[in-house]
Amino acid sequence: MIYLPLLLAEEIEGGLFDFNGTLPLMALQFLTLMLLLNTIFYKPVTKILDDRDEYIRTTLTTASSMLVKADELAAKYEEDLSEARRDAQAKIAASQKEAQSIVSEDIKKAQMNAEKLITEASKQLNIQKEEALKTLEDQIDTLSDQIKAKLLSRQSLK
Amino acid sequence: MYQNNLIDFNPYSCLSAVEVGKHLYWKIGSLQLHGQVFIVSWLVIAALLTISFLGTRNLQRIPEKFQNFMEFVLEFLQDIAKNQIGEHEYRPWVPYIATLFLFILGCNWAGALIPWKLIHLPEGELAAPTNDINTTVALSLLTSLAYFYAGLSKKGLGYFARYVQPTPVLLPINILEDFTKPLSLSFRLFGNVLADELVVSVFTLLIPILIPLPVMILGLFASSIQALIFSTLSAAYIGEAMEGHGEE
Repeated sequence: MIYLPLLLAEEIEGGLFDFNGTLPLMALQFLTLMLLLNTIFYKPVTKILDDRDEYIRTTLTTASSMLVKADELAAKYEEDLSEARRDAQAKIAASQKEAQSIVSEDIKKAQMNAEKLITEASKQLNIQKEEALKTLEDQIDTLSDQIKAKLLSRQSLK
Repeated sequence: MYQNNLIDFNPYSCLSAVEVGKHLYWKIGSLQLHGQVFIVSWLVIAALLTISFLGTRNLQRIPEKFQNFMEFVLEFLQDIAKNQIGEHEYRPWVPYIATLFLFILGCNWAGALIPWKLIHLPEGELAAPTNDINTTVALSLLTSLAYFYAGLSKKGLGYFARYVQPTPVLLPINILEDFTKPLSLSFRLFGNVLADELVVSVFTLLIPILIPLPVMILGLFASSIQALIFSTLSAAYIGEAMEGHGEE
């Protein structure tokens, strides 16, 4: 049932190229659709896309600045650490030296004490020896006197 | 006489009769309207509005499935406008280009996918709204208005200098171009959609399903291409009106 005559639009109504009120109303309808879609679809989705772009950009910049900051902090900590290590080394060395000097002084003092004790003791010994010798000499004198006297008395008795 | 034989021969022909140029007339005041065009276009508009309402109900920074789809669609449409109009000025034109694409695609697919033959109207038949010349001419005239508006708002009256731009000899051709642009836009879309429907109808009249089905699929493909072409060309005309001719 192909209505070929209608292709040629010979009738008053109908035909392929039948322009009428459909045209302006379709245009109006299209514009209305555009406005509606703009408010419920394009605007919100565009906004969320832009917001996401903005968010990503700002987080990216903050992240990179944070990274730089973190690097700086790490470098600073490294420096602090090495300084502290150097300090500790120095302290250890100083305290070792101090301890050594204290020990050597103590040793010297102890040696001096010991020497003093020894000299005193030997002096005491000498004194006692001389005293003993003196008493012995005294006793020798008296003994010899007594022996002499005894001998002399015996002779005289004879 | 021959047609009666055909009906005896092919029982599907009652489903596949071809009606061209018959319309369901509505009257509003003194205006005469093609009712079948409006019925289908309202369905298309309702579908578009429903999808965009559902898809944008709960927008989040990290998109879910449906929002992802809507964002993909919008970025695709933005790309059409961006490629033709340029990075700096495409934004105000995205709604127009995007709506053109979505509306034409919806209309074409509504005509191709829904078996309208099952619904009987007193006169005419339901089909793609874009197979009515009124629809396509309305859209192409809107495009003409849009690029005139774009050019005039960008350059003021200096816009008309482009008519004598390469040489004043080309003035008549340049003026003619303003008529051929909407003409070619509207007839390309109208012809493609109508031809597709006619081919499918005629094939179904002759052979039930085997041959028409690939043609229908081809028609589905062609109608989406037509939507893309219409919106891309509209964007190109708008972009051309806004940029200086020296950059072309």
